[in-house]
Amino acid sequence: MSQGQPGQAPGHGHGPGSGFRPRRFVLGQFTDSDALLVATRKMRELGHKQLDTHTPYPVHGIEAALGLGRAKIPTIVLMGAIAGACIAYSMIYYMNVFDFPINVANRPQHSPPSMLPITFELAILLGGSSAFFGLFMLLKLPEPYHPVFEARSFARASIDGFFLSVEVPAGTDPADVAVDMRGFGSTEVQVIEESER
Amino acid sequence: MASTSPALAPATSNDPLEPALLIEGAQTDASLNDSLFGHVWALPGKGWWGLFGIALMGLTLLLVGLTYTLYKGIGAWGNNIPVGWAFGIINFVWWIGIGHAGTLISAILLLLQQKWRTSINRFAEAMTLFAVICALIFPLIHTGRPWFAAYWLLPYPSVNGIWPQFKSPLVWDVFAVSTYFTISLLFWFLGLIPDLASLRDSSKSPTKRMIYGIFAMGWRGSGRHWAEYKWSYLLLAGLSTPLVLSVHTIVSFYFAVSVLPGWHTTVFPPYFVAGAVFSGFAMVLTWMVPARHFLGLKHVVTMKHLENMNKVILATGLMVTYGYVMEHFIAWYSGNPYEFAMFFKVRQRGPFAPVYWLMIFCNVVVPQIFWSKKARTSLPIMWIAAILVNVGMWCERFNIIVTALHRDFLPSKWEIYAPTWVDWSIYLGTIGLFSTLFLLFLKFVPAVAATEVKELRHEIAHHAEGGEAHG
Repeated sequence: MSQGQPGQAPGHGHGPGSGFRPRRFVLGQFTDSDALLVATRKMRELGHKQLDTHTPYPVHGIEAALGLGRAKIPTIVLMGAIAGACIAYSMIYYMNVFDFPINVANRPQHSPPSMLPITFELAILLGGSSAFFGLFMLLKLPEPYHPVFEARSFARASIDGFFLSVEVPAGTDPADVAVDMRGFGSTEVQVIEESER
Repeated sequence: MASTSPALAPATSNDPLEPALLIEGAQTDASLNDSLFGHVWALPGKGWWGLFGIALMGLTLLLVGLTYTLYKGIGAWGNNIPVGWAFGIINFVWWIGIGHAGTLISAILLLLQQKWRTSINRFAEAMTLFAVICALIFPLIHTGRPWFAAYWLLPYPSVNGIWPQFKSPLVWDVFAVSTYFTISLLFWFLGLIPDLASLRDSSKSPTKRMIYGIFAMGWRGSGRHWAEYKWSYLLLAGLSTPLVLSVHTIVSFYFAVSVLPGWHTTVFPPYFVAGAVFSGFAMVLTWMVPARHFLGLKHVVTMKHLENMNKVILATGLMVTYGYVMEHFIAWYSGNPYEFAMFFKVRQRGPFAPVYWLMIFCNVVVPQIFWSKKARTSLPIMWIAAILVNVGMWCERFNIIVTALHRDFLPSKWEIYAPTWVDWSIYLGTIGLFSTLFLLFLKFVPAVAATEVKELRHEIAHHAEGGEAHG
C-alpha cells in the first residue's frame, strides 16, 4: 500500500526488464451509499473510465450511476433452460423410442405427457446451473487477488464501508484523479498499486 | 446484545396496533456484522457440544443400520409382500417435505417481496440441503444394491444397452430430487458468498481469513458484480419456485399414478406440496426457537418472524386438512367399495388406527391453536406444536404407504407390517445426521444472511428518513 506517492515507477524490487506494469487505482471511501452514488455519477460525468464501486450490499441505483447496460445473466439463463429442455426431450426420445423401445400394454412409444417432467427438471437444472456458473464466468471470479485488496481499509467494504475505485490509465497522474474524488466528498482517498506476486 | 437499545425500539410492544419489528434495536452495519457473526467466532459452548455428542450418537446408529443392511440385505428390514415400501419411502417423503420450507422461504417469499424472509432464509436453506441429503439415503439404500443403482436409475450407457424406462415416476423422481439438491446447493452458496467475504474481512486469524477467503472466491462487492449477481440470485429464486412445486408433485406421483385404493387420488400433488411446506415450517421452528436464543439472534429473528411462520403453519395445516376431507369425500362419493373400505374402515379402525388418529390430532387439531395470537407468540407452545406437526406428518406418510399396502383388493394378500430395529436405527440415524450437519453449519457459517439484513436495515432506515423529510 502506498499513500501519497502517486505516479512513481514500480518500486517493489523487480527490475525494469521484468515486463510487469502494475495497475494503479485510486480508491476513495464515502460515509454512506448516497454520497457514493452522487460521487460515482459525477466522476463518470467528468469522463473517468474504469469506475467501480465496492459496497457491503447492493446499492439501489448503482447500475445507473456506473452507466452499466442491461445485465447479461437473464439471456444466459434462458439459453441454458432451453438447452436443458431440448437435451432432455431428445434424450428420452432417443432412448425410449428409437434405441430401446419397450412395448408396455401397447401404449404409445412417443408419449409427450410422460416426457414432460424430466424435460422440465433438466430445463431448471441447466438454467439454474448457468445462472450460477455463468455468473462466475461473467464476473471472472474466483479472482483471489485484486489490487483493491492492497488497501488496508478495504476490509470494511464487505462490512460497512462504501468505496469508489478508478483504474488510472497509463500516462495519467493518479493525483489528478484523487483530487477529483476528494472534491466529490470522499473522506479518505488513497492511491494503490498492484503488487507483483 | 449490547447494541440493542430498548429505549429506541422496545423489544416487545404490548400495543396490538404497533407494527412488530423485523430488526430490533438501533443497529448499524457494523453492529449487525458483529452480532450476526458472533457465533461463528465464539468457541462453541457446553450446550453445543452436548447436542453435538447426541447427534454423533444418532449418526453412529445410521452407520450401524446401513452397514447391517448392506451386509444382510433388505431382508433385515421389516418390509414384506405386500408391504414392499415401508420406512424407506416414508422417511424419504418425510425428509424431502421438510426440505421444502427452505426453498419456499428463500425463493417464493423473495419473489413475493416478503421482507420477513431475510433473517430466516439462510437457516432454512441449509435445512433444505441437509434434509435432502437425509432423504437421498433412502431411495439409494432401498434398492438393496446401491452400487447398481447408477444404471438402474440414470441414463448411463452401460454395456447391457438398456436404458431407464422414462414413463415411470420413479425415474422422474431421480431427476427431480437430484435437480432439487443441485439447485438448492447453488442457490444457498450464491447467497452465502457476500457473507463469506465479510467473514474473510472480519476474521482475526490469518488461517480463518484464508479459509473463508477461499470460499469467498475473491468477492469484492463490486457494483458491476452486484448488478449481475442480483439477477442471478433472482433467477435462481424464480427457477426454484416451480422446482419446489414439481418435486413434491412428482413424489406424489409415486402413489397417485398407481391403482391402489388410498393412493389413486388426484388431490395428491397439491396436498403433498402443502404437507411438505407444513412439515418444513414446523422443522424450521423446532430449530429456530432454541437457536435464536443460543446464538444471540433475537434482534433479527424477532417475534414477528416466529408469528408469521406460525401463520404459515396454520394456513398449510388447513390445506392439508382440506386434502384429508377431499380424500374421504371422494372415497365415499366415487361409490368404489375398495376406496370406501380403505378410508372408512381400514385406516380408522384397522390395525394401524392409532397412527391415523395421531395424524388427525397432530395435523388437523394441533395447528388450530395458532388462531390465537397468544399461542402464536408463545415460545413453548409453538415449539411443542411444531414437534407435534413433525410427528403428525411422519404418521401421514406411514398412513399413506403402509396402511394402503397392507390391505389391498385380495384378503389372501393381507399382511401385517412391523419395522425392525434396523428400520428404526436408520430412521433415527438420519435425524442424527441432520443434526450433526446442522450443528456444524451453525458453528462455521453465519446462520443469518448478514448482507441481506444490512440491506434491509438500510431500506427501512431510508424509508423512515424519506417519510420524515417528505411527509
